[in-house]
Amino acid sequence: MAETRQYESNAAFEARLRKRITKLILFCTAVLVAVIFGFPMYFMGISAFKAESEILATPFRWLPERFVGLEHYARAFDLAPIGQWYLNSVFAATLQVSVAIFVGAMAGYGFAKFRFRGKRILFALILSIMAVPFQILLIPLFVLVRQFGWDDSYAGLIMPGIISAFGVFMMRQFAYAIPDELLDAARIDGAGEFRIFLLIALPLLAPAAASLAIILFLFSWNNFLWPLVVARDRALLTLPVGMTQFSQPYRGEPIVGPSMAVSMLATLPVALLFLFFQRYFIEGMMVSGIKG
Amino acid sequence: MINRLLLRDVSVIRRRQYWGLVFVLPAVLFFVVFFLYPLIIGFGLSLTDFTLLRPPVWVGLDNYINLLSDRLFLKSINVTLGYVFGSTVPTWILSLLAALLFYQKFPGREGLKLLFFSPLLPSVAVVSVIWVVLLHPSGILTHFIGPLVGKSSITWLHDLTLSPIVIVVARIWSVIPFYMLIWLAGLTAIPQELRDAALVDGANRRQSFLRVELPLLRPTAVFVMAVSTIAAFQGFTLQFIIAPNQGGPVDVNTTLGVVIWKYGFQFYRMGDAAAVSVVLFAFIMIVTGIQLKLGSSDRYSLQ
Repeated sequence: MAETRQYESNAAFEARLRKRITKLILFCTAVLVAVIFGFPMYFMGISAFKAESEILATPFRWLPERFVGLEHYARAFDLAPIGQWYLNSVFAATLQVSVAIFVGAMAGYGFAKFRFRGKRILFALILSIMAVPFQILLIPLFVLVRQFGWDDSYAGLIMPGIISAFGVFMMRQFAYAIPDELLDAARIDGAGEFRIFLLIALPLLAPAAASLAIILFLFSWNNFLWPLVVARDRALLTLPVGMTQFSQPYRGEPIVGPSMAVSMLATLPVALLFLFFQRYFIEGMMVSGIKG
Repeated sequence: MINRLLLRDVSVIRRRQYWGLVFVLPAVLFFVVFFLYPLIIGFGLSLTDFTLLRPPVWVGLDNYINLLSDRLFLKSINVTLGYVFGSTVPTWILSLLAALLFYQKFPGREGLKLLFFSPLLPSVAVVSVIWVVLLHPSGILTHFIGPLVGKSSITWLHDLTLSPIVIVVARIWSVIPFYMLIWLAGLTAIPQELRDAALVDGANRRQSFLRVELPLLRPTAVFVMAVSTIAAFQGFTLQFIIAPNQGGPVDVNTTLGVVIWKYGFQFYRMGDAAAVSVVLFAFIMIVTGIQLKLGSSDRYSLQ
């Protein structure tokens, strides 16, 4: 009897020990993985505060030997019109997100809540847009924008991305959730269709659009290829395109510190979105496949 | 009376349905101008010798025939396929392993997961600029790997063999957290009862994973494979910024995307660039087709 109990508690102890060890191994593996994946971002952040000579020095120092404050940030603004590029990126993103949300909500609402002739084929058009990668359209779109006289202008930079097929698609999904009774009630009260959309449908769609807005912002903010080909005037560049000038030495002199500072500035809005709207951020990423 | 009311209702409903068209019209018109029309002139341009300087002249399939003996284009097909295989297969495996790791319960998991997610934040341009610094000949990567091969300076980016590899590494680093999220969502969607049932039936954890969870992850797997392959076929920004001379050295990083940019915006050979775009389109449509087939067929299994 005593022996059995001894045996049982031994087994229980062993099981518990084994569980503990498994957890420890999992924890250590996760620390290793997280450090490997987090390191480049840490490197970027900390290098912006290190003296130029120290950034590339090995072995790597986790904290700067000499903390240079915002020196590299100031230098970056001296070397290039960062402020202008930042404003261009913000301007393009704001315009593209707001128009895409509004027009997308309209179209999504139209597709979800009305029956009309040609609806199927028009929706198939929207779906096919999502399947065609942008690189295929790069050349003809550039030729078209040039025909419009829009090359090297804000119109050329912003217009081709001002409405998003993905936005229409998502808004349609959201609009299905609007109860028909609500819309009919407004109709009986004599409200016009556009008023119903503005005053009833749009406010109902807005919260659902949070993750969509984040994704549309990322699309616009991170866009590289289109601004690269359409903007040649230095004052018209967006941040992602402009900042690549920092990956080359400036007059033979390395500017790694400023390049890390600019990288930080370019990542900052995205990091803030991630911190404050983590759930929407991740949700939006997953449905859009944007980071693939 | 009732009939007249009904008739009136029908016409009201009908009038209302026109509003659907009114609502979708702005978006549809936009896509006709900025998607459908360019798509069609893209095919058209690929049949001309357009250079932006003079009006396009019809050349039929000449551009395509010339591509068949175009060294840069042929090389870029190899480069692109190498990049696609090199960056996708490790991404699938490593992101699944990461998802399995963070699916387990252990202390500090949420905090470590956030750190692991940090590559989700930077744009590809930022990723490129960071990796240019990490890959400095006497920089941090050399510091770790150099001693293993007895070197104090490695020219990662100017080496014909190494530079495509390190670009793949940068790519894998930047996308794994995203695919891990997808796998994690797939794993979370598997009902716990199925795992329990397998364990009750005498399966061990490994068998339960291989026989129960992995087959149920099939739709997730098809999604991950397709999205990552399609994205890799469009590889451009990393090669453009990280590699020396846009896609160098000696064009070892010149993907199809880089060729489109070079022909279009360096040499202004819009016709050739459009033809390369059509080829890229064909590649991507093949992948999309395979995805649709795998996604809908019941016979396919990961086992």
